Amino acid sequence: MVTHTQSAGATASRAEPSLTYQPNVDICDLGAEVLFVADIPGAHADGISVTFDDGVLDVQASVPVRDFSGRSVLQEYGIGGYRRSFRLGDGFDASQIAADYTKGVLTIHVPRLAAVRPRTVEVKAG
Amino acid sequence: MPTFRPGFAPPFDELREELDRLWTTLTAAPPLHGWGVRPAEGVFPAVNVRESDDAITIEAELPGLEASGVDITVAGDELVLKGSRPETCPAEAGASGAITGNGHGNGDTGGKPRVTWHRRERGTGAFERRIPLPVAVDAARVDARLVDGVLTITCPKAAECRPRKVEVRTA
Repeated sequence: MVTHTQSAGATASRAEPSLTYQPNVDICDLGAEVLFVADIPGAHADGISVTFDDGVLDVQASVPVRDFSGRSVLQEYGIGGYRRSFRLGDGFDASQIAADYTKGVLTIHVPRLAAVRPRTVEVKAG
Repeated sequence: MPTFRPGFAPPFDELREELDRLWTTLTAAPPLHGWGVRPAEGVFPAVNVRESDDAITIEAELPGLEASGVDITVAGDELVLKGSRPETCPAEAGASGAITGNGHGNGDTGGKPRVTWHRRERGTGAFERRIPLPVAVDAARVDARLVDGVLTITCPKAAECRPRKVEVRTA
């Protein structure tokens, strides 16, 4: 079963879409690159900002207000924008960072500089 | 002569009015996150349910899912939502070489890259959520849309549950 958690410390409601959540994130290290996968449902690609400055990866997204009228019967989550930052430090190639947004999921590829990538050394027989 | 008002003596009457005003303000306000009912740990997805004169609308955030991967069934007085969230990391999902976006793939490790998880918050795998419906709905007309990871299910109310204006006839 899914082990899903709501964003910690998030507070928002339909009437106050300007409030901000921390998106749930998976961080997967593949050696040559680090993959950041963030749940940002309801956003559009042009409303998402990804910046890498001084070793800090910052993700921000605005979420348009959705048409969801009527009397509230049950509310288990709120709706608002997203923001989260990660300190990565040195050793990453900022010029090659790439991001794509599809089906409500933001995936960011942060490649390591070639000099610091893990490398397997072949042991030769003498 | 003062108008008779049943209730407490004047100082308490004012307090009661102030509490009434506060209560009205609180209950009229849109529910904040902290007031809402959070699903229990491990329950996925969280849902919001709203009711209008004509329909019950259920909204759920399902990032990463295809429309074809969501199964919705209306059975009696509940709606059942099933699906499965795919694995995040292409390498672990068995999609070797599927890592895209910048030309960096498997690095110098040769074959499948060694994966280290620094954080896993999103969760993957099968889920099932049963959502009680507050009124009877017309199951044949239920409509569902999944856009940018947001699932919206519109369940038109059964005819007998809709508000009906009664015409008053003259004798």
